[in-house]
Amino acid sequence: MRNRFAELHPAVLFLYFTAVILFSMFFMHPVFLAISLFCGFACSAALHLGKTLRFSFRFLLPMLLVMTAVNPLLNHRGATILLYVNDNPVTREALLYGFSSACMFSAVLLWFSCWNTVITSDKLVYLFGSVAPSLSLLFSMVLRFVPRFKAQIRTIENAQKGIGKGADQGSIFIRAKNGMNILSILTTWALENGITTADSMRARGYGLAGRTSFSIYAFNKRDKTALIVLIVMLFPVFYGAFTGENNIRYYPSLAVKPISFVSNLVYAAYFLLCAFPLLFNAAIEVKEHDSI
Amino acid sequence: MTVFEFDHFCFTYPKETEPALWDIRLTIPEGEFIALCGLSGSGKTTLLRQLKPALAPHGKSEGTLQFFGKPLAECSERSQAADIGFVMQSPEAQIVTDKVWHELSFGLESLGYDSQTIRLRTAEMASFFGIESWFERDVCTLSGGQKQLLNLASIMAMQPKALLLDEPTSQLDPIAAADFLAAVKKINAELGVTVLLTEQRLQEVFPLADRVIVLDRGRVITDASPREAGKHLLEIGHPMAAALPVPMKIHGAVANDLPCPLTVREGRNWLGAFLKESKIFYRAIPEEPESTNTDKAVELKGCWFSYEKAGPDVIKDLTLSIPKKKITCIVGGNGAGKSTALGIMAGIFKPARGKVKVNGRTALLPQDPQTLFLKNTVAEDWAETLDGRLSNAEKQKKLQETAELVQISPLLNRHPYDLSGGEQQRAALGKVLLTQPDILLLDEPTKGLDSSFKITFAKLLRELIGSGVTVVMVSHDIEFCAEYADYCALFFHGGIISSGGARAFFAGNSFYTTAANRMSRGFFQNAVRNGDVIALCNKNQNRKD
Repeated sequence: MRNRFAELHPAVLFLYFTAVILFSMFFMHPVFLAISLFCGFACSAALHLGKTLRFSFRFLLPMLLVMTAVNPLLNHRGATILLYVNDNPVTREALLYGFSSACMFSAVLLWFSCWNTVITSDKLVYLFGSVAPSLSLLFSMVLRFVPRFKAQIRTIENAQKGIGKGADQGSIFIRAKNGMNILSILTTWALENGITTADSMRARGYGLAGRTSFSIYAFNKRDKTALIVLIVMLFPVFYGAFTGENNIRYYPSLAVKPISFVSNLVYAAYFLLCAFPLLFNAAIEVKEHDSI
Repeated sequence: MTVFEFDHFCFTYPKETEPALWDIRLTIPEGEFIALCGLSGSGKTTLLRQLKPALAPHGKSEGTLQFFGKPLAECSERSQAADIGFVMQSPEAQIVTDKVWHELSFGLESLGYDSQTIRLRTAEMASFFGIESWFERDVCTLSGGQKQLLNLASIMAMQPKALLLDEPTSQLDPIAAADFLAAVKKINAELGVTVLLTEQRLQEVFPLADRVIVLDRGRVITDASPREAGKHLLEIGHPMAAALPVPMKIHGAVANDLPCPLTVREGRNWLGAFLKESKIFYRAIPEEPESTNTDKAVELKGCWFSYEKAGPDVIKDLTLSIPKKKITCIVGGNGAGKSTALGIMAGIFKPARGKVKVNGRTALLPQDPQTLFLKNTVAEDWAETLDGRLSNAEKQKKLQETAELVQISPLLNRHPYDLSGGEQQRAALGKVLLTQPDILLLDEPTKGLDSSFKITFAKLLRELIGSGVTVVMVSHDIEFCAEYADYCALFFHGGIISSGGARAFFAGNSFYTTAANRMSRGFFQNAVRNGDVIALCNKNQNRKD
């Protein structure tokens, strides 16, 4: 299925992920954590199900258990003592804090995996470009260079192997020398090819005054709607943050603001924000389906 | 309108006494397609670069060079960048950015166009070249031919009035090269852009060009239509004549008054007209007894190979034996696995299954000679491969001998990167030979060599065979293989489809064969080389007389 959310304008995506990742990092309140973790998992699964499941079960779940278990063993703060291990108290607060931090950490990692898939290199280049055009060109050239470099080093390695001077032929001393030689050949090649690239840039007028920066991203009506919706949802979340709806005290004893009508509203807004990619996809799906 | 005009133009490189260009007088009218030819080092590239001031080499120039009636040096940098497009040899190194669309827009960004204009122009170019489907792709996922087409498209997006191309197809395989040249022809015919192209492969360019200019040691020796230029080169016996289209060469070597053919089709018509007069008595070249050599240098049995564990098999059930002290050529399309097979023989790749038996020491000359050079001079670079226990005198002797063999003695103290493409190839070959292999493996050795050095190169291979070396070569260059190989094998889809003695092999194929064979099919039975067709023509003619 097409991910319509990922097709939004890079600036909208950037704003969204920055907000969600920052909120996930700083809101340690269990309701907020649960929302972020759940939505982060769902969004990541919508992008690539298999990878998300593998990542969650092989890495996140073990990490969750380890952090929950280790924190109370190292940290003895907290008022409610559950048991003693080697004369050291294990507290309920430390246990919960370990669990919450692990949840926070998992949520952030899941959101970053979404970021990685959705904000591809060219979108990042574009975002840079709107701030500093020359930086974005540099970035784009680096992205061109890295795969070329990798391919060339393989070619050189094979060529050297072909005349009996590979990095895996001969004694350890000769191997090391051959390996160094391969790097040296690569360097000369890179410098020499750099001249051709520079020529090619100059031939196409690089260095003339008044260079512009082109991108294939246009800010369309859908981006505008998405941006407005996002900003509208950010307000209640910020309001909640200022009034302390998201605050939690772990030590010496747990303390949260009691759940009220206002706090429910803030939770709802935060949920809508975190589930935005999924809701957006669903909304577009319904809309386009109806119009056919 | 005149686009470029040279008048008594001379150019000398710094610290050189001999001028690189001498008394050039040329007028290039708008809309012409001009092929600029000459051997390596004849000054083609120097001449072409004079026309693009941003790329012109340093040196002293005399005489005048005008662009649309105005001295080129006085044109603004902006108009030079936009109006004169320049495509270079290397498809890889010319590409600056990582995305196809960004590369297409690079020149327009430099010229400071707004987004709307750039969007329109890149879209236009992408549709003109039929490359819309790659528009958002990463550059590194394109093939060499696609990359060069992208380079051309990103120049054309700037809407130049003149397009200069410096051996643009020398790094491409024949099919990609033909596609590329067809795109250049389309630009010339449909947009009326003036084209100046330097090229080694005259076979493909001659039928496209309106005019051919031949340079020799910095002087213009011919400036005429392709037919006339070819005739002139044949008459004066210029080394460049070796690169002419096959039908032209055959026509020139047979006494007749018929008009000169350029393409295989015209060649067939010519042959028909020529032979009708004299009835065809001799249809076949007498078969030379095949000198069979049962000694095997390399034997592969049921080999399978893939680059990645889960990846597709590149080599599939390959069984192949290479006879000793012979030249064996492996031909075939791109990506068929030829180079990989060579890598297996060289021990670079280990097959997942199957047996590899190599009788002797191998050395592989890679496609890109630059991947071998390590030191600052050719001599130092070569010395590095020699056994450290040899005395200095012995080392020197070896170096000198090898330098004479590959004919680069005067260049031993130059930096390998300062040599031309053909010279680099020779320096790399010398380095490989110094490892004293019993089996010499060559990957596309004729790529970028000019036709006159190809003949020298073939002689060199013969000498090596004489001294007991086995040569295995992977190539796209069918003409070269037909002319000089003992055995040929056709590689397809990871295995050998057919193999045999060179003549029988090519005579048995219908498309994948030499121009001479395609031209004489139906008239003669097994004429594969140019010499075969010429000999049969002369024989038939003499009989009539």
